[in-house]
Amino acid sequence: MSGETKVAALPSVHAVRHGPAWVPQGSQFSGLYLREIIKTFRNPFVIVITIAQPFMWLAFFGSSFGNVGNSAFFDQTVLHAPVGTTFIQFLLPGVLSTSMLSIGMFGSMSTIQDKRFGFMKRVLITPTSKATVYLTKTLGSATRGLVQIPVMLVAAWAFGVPFLGGVLDWLGFILGLTLLGVGFSAFFLAMTASSTDWQTPGVISNFITMPLMFASGALFPASNYPRWMQLIANYNPVGYASLLGRQVVVYGSFDWTYLGYLAVFAAAMLILGTAVASRYLKVE
Amino acid sequence: MSDENGDAIVAEGLTKRYGAITAVDHVNFRVPSGSVFGLLGPNGAGKTTIIKVLTGLSDMTEGTARVAGYDVRKEPMHVKERIGWVAAEVILDDDLSGWENLWLQAKLQRLSGWTVRAEQLLEYFELSDRRKDKVGKYSTGMRKKMEIALALLHQPAIIFMDEPTIGLDPNVRRMLWKLITGVNREFGVTVLLTSHYIEEADSLCDRVAIIDHGKFVATGTPSELKSRVRADFIELETKGDVSEERLRAVPGVSEVRSQGKAWILKVSSAEDVLPGLFAALKGDVIRRINVEKPSLESVFIDITGKRMDQAGGGDVQDFRKFYMQVRRARQ
Repeated sequence: MSGETKVAALPSVHAVRHGPAWVPQGSQFSGLYLREIIKTFRNPFVIVITIAQPFMWLAFFGSSFGNVGNSAFFDQTVLHAPVGTTFIQFLLPGVLSTSMLSIGMFGSMSTIQDKRFGFMKRVLITPTSKATVYLTKTLGSATRGLVQIPVMLVAAWAFGVPFLGGVLDWLGFILGLTLLGVGFSAFFLAMTASSTDWQTPGVISNFITMPLMFASGALFPASNYPRWMQLIANYNPVGYASLLGRQVVVYGSFDWTYLGYLAVFAAAMLILGTAVASRYLKVE
Repeated sequence: MSDENGDAIVAEGLTKRYGAITAVDHVNFRVPSGSVFGLLGPNGAGKTTIIKVLTGLSDMTEGTARVAGYDVRKEPMHVKERIGWVAAEVILDDDLSGWENLWLQAKLQRLSGWTVRAEQLLEYFELSDRRKDKVGKYSTGMRKKMEIALALLHQPAIIFMDEPTIGLDPNVRRMLWKLITGVNREFGVTVLLTSHYIEEADSLCDRVAIIDHGKFVATGTPSELKSRVRADFIELETKGDVSEERLRAVPGVSEVRSQGKAWILKVSSAEDVLPGLFAALKGDVIRRINVEKPSLESVFIDITGKRMDQAGGGDVQDFRKFYMQVRRARQ
């Protein structure tokens, strides 16, 4: 009988509380961040979709000029790149950068799910700050986004992209992509901090992806753009990451300035987002 | 964990407004350490809002509250380290296993050396053999027990339970009553629970506050409250119209209130009044008649003039909770 539960004496064991935490919110932070990671890898579907999208860009869009007769002319006048550069090679950094635009969407959606299923209440009824919740969701999203990088690099190799540049240049590019991903995740989660509507993240994603992708130099060189689009591209972090990557992939060199811009972008978004979320993160 | 007077919770002038709606209206109460205190009232009376404000989930509009010896507004983190919470709708991370849910709770409460206690709680709640399964696959009763285990992990001084038995079948409900009493006695934990089940508040709580429209309308031990109403209530619905005067004229009837098409009569003793009432209504068809002997329900009727299940009305929140129970039950 399930009704006959014993109410036996429970030996009192003291769950020892830590003294002052070495890092404020450190325990809560690692717990919630690991939760994000565990949940991501329990849902391989999300990972497959995350990877499939940039892969398809590379495969389909990247092959769009495969049959251009005079490829030297194409390289020089369209890509503004050294003769012999393939379009997939040119495109790889742009596609990787563009794919960082919407990775915040998954974090936003899981935050909204936590609000709607009440889990946010369970977290915030413990000594956990809203800033911690926000930062773990942001970094969880960014981590999820980074999973696609190694897969994409293998795909690029399979498409015959020559790997110019040293290991450090590539690591620098991956760091740049990380900063871009953190920045956009931070932006995304701050935008949806007070939202409880499933549709919001998708709408925001659609809204920002198109202009930031095309006005960035990610798909074609910005030097071909009209003046007004160049203006946007000059301030578009997707452009910084694309150019940083293109230096590595096409020229085998590295430009620290772009990495610096990306660091500033990520830091600014994290600071602003934390301030917004501390105040406006809704509980349910 | 309590203040100098031995009170686990002290609320003074507690008020919460959502725009123009006052959900909780200048409520004052104290909950002695180690007791079970019940907030009894219809849906939408403000019970859940009181829990939200006391646990720091929602900011109060006015008033002060001390929970476990700390000011809820000024020292919310100290309060949160000392309270546990059991939600009406059973909130767990369904993608994580039972053990992982406990692990996360330990992280969020910054515990060390929690595993032994977690093992014992699982043992106590008979969940040990399912610890590695995702909690999304647990039965409703197991989920509820898991939630209580989470609430107890960090040895809280106070546990807040919002409608602990809503949507549970009678077996699980009885089991949960035993657990709540057990948790209170064995662990000395103060329990504040909300309910709209009369018998639940009556059998579990040391003290009960009856709440309606955000205000406390009566507070006391269940027996104190019941002894206040030295009367029975008769609810009556007839086919035709019956005039109030005819009902008043029946010997033993002290009060007559209309409730829609029905009447509520306050009488000295239902057994003595019923024969006279039937005689007076000869010729009218009685559709329904119900006798309410002294209970917390009759206290509510006496004060508010309506039954608890007729008060409040369409509560969206409650519907959502119910829907979520159904959704989970189907999985």
